[in-house]
Amino acid sequence: MKSTKFTPASKLSKAEVDRKWWEIGDYFRRNSLWLLMYCTGCCAIELPPAMTSAYDMERLGMGPMATPRQADILLVSGYLSLKTLRRLIYTYEQMSEPRYVVALGSCPINGGIYHDSHAVINQLDQYIPVDVYVAGCMPNTEAVMNGFVDLMDQIKRKTAVGWKKYHDHFEWYKQNQRDSLGEVIVHDEFHE
Amino acid sequence: MMNSMNNVEFVNELVNGAVKVIKTDVVDNFQVSYEIKKNDVHLLLTRLKGAGWIQLSYLSAIDWLEENKFELVYILFNWEKPVYIQVRAKIDRENPVMDSILPIFPGAKYYEREAHEFFGIAFPGNPDYEKQLILEGWDDIPPLRKDFDPQAYSDRKFPKRDYPQDYSVKDPKESRQAKRAEREKRATSLRGGKKQ
Repeated sequence: MKSTKFTPASKLSKAEVDRKWWEIGDYFRRNSLWLLMYCTGCCAIELPPAMTSAYDMERLGMGPMATPRQADILLVSGYLSLKTLRRLIYTYEQMSEPRYVVALGSCPINGGIYHDSHAVINQLDQYIPVDVYVAGCMPNTEAVMNGFVDLMDQIKRKTAVGWKKYHDHFEWYKQNQRDSLGEVIVHDEFHE
Repeated sequence: MMNSMNNVEFVNELVNGAVKVIKTDVVDNFQVSYEIKKNDVHLLLTRLKGAGWIQLSYLSAIDWLEENKFELVYILFNWEKPVYIQVRAKIDRENPVMDSILPIFPGAKYYEREAHEFFGIAFPGNPDYEKQLILEGWDDIPPLRKDFDPQAYSDRKFPKRDYPQDYSVKDPKESRQAKRAEREKRATSLRGGKKQ
C-alpha cells in the first residue's frame, strides 16, 4: 500500500545503502566485542584486573569467548615464539569476519626483551595485521582498557581494517610467514 | 640415618664404593655432585636406583666450549632420604654420543630428546631421540651450543622494525649545568666596568 504521506523517493545507491548497513552493524559490533584471549606471555596478568571488578571490562560490552569462530578480537598478550605463531595463524584464519587483533606489550611490537632470541619473532604485523598495539612491558591495566576503547573508536571511524588488509595483501603475509616459519602447517607427533 | 649430614656420608660411601669418582662436590646438606667417567654412568645410576634414588629429576647438558666437551648432568632424587645426587660425565664435543639410560629410567626418553635437540647429543638405545620435541623445523646448529649466535639467527630470520632517527628523542632535557653556564656568560656580558 502506498503511503499517502509525502515521502521522497530514496536516492541512495546500492553502495550507499550497504555503507549505512555497515555503520549500523559497526555500532552494535563495537558495543559487544568478544575477546579470544591468546595468552602467550606475561602480559596476560593484566587481564584478570581488566575483566574483574577493578576495571570491569563488561561495562564496555566486552567479554571472553571460548572459540575463535565466535570471537571478534584476537588478543595476543605477550611474546610469540615460532611455535605459537603457527597456532596463532591457524586461530586467526578460523575467526569469522570482521576480526580485529589487539597486541599487548612490547614483544609483538619489536621483540622486547626477546629481540635476540632464536625462538621469538620480532614484529607481529609482518605475519598478521594488527589493529591496536598497547605498548609497555607490561602495559598498565589502564593502558589495556584504553587500547580497547581505541579499538572501538577505530571501528567507529572505519579504520580498523586489518582483516581487509589480510585479504588485499594475502600473498605478502603468506610470504612473510613462510620466510620465518618455513611452513605454516603444524607437523608434530600428535597430529600425524 | 637420623640427620642430613649422615645422609651425605651415606651417599659418599655408596658412590665411592660403586665407581671411581673424579671430582666430588658437596653443594650443601641436601645436594651432592659427582663427576665420573662416561662409561661408569649406567653402573652408578643402577646402583643408586637400587639404593632408593628412584626418580630422575632432570637430565641436561652443559657446553664447555674451551675444553671441547659436553657435560651431561643426571639429577636423581630419593623420596626417603632428602638428598639430590648430581651425576656428571663429560663426553666428546666433536662426536657427542652417550648410550641411552632408558632401561634404567624410562622417563629419560623426553630429556634425551631435548638434549639431542638443543645440543645435538646422540643417544643410541632411545628409539626416537632424533624426533623433534620443542623446536619445529629447526634449520641451524643446535641452539644451546655456545658457538650458536642467536642474535645473528634472529637478524637473518625475523624482520626487524626500523626506527627512523627523527622519532628517537635521546635526551630531551637540557643540562642544568649548561644552563647555569649560559646564564653566567650573559650576566658577565651585561656587567659594566672593566672586563676581567
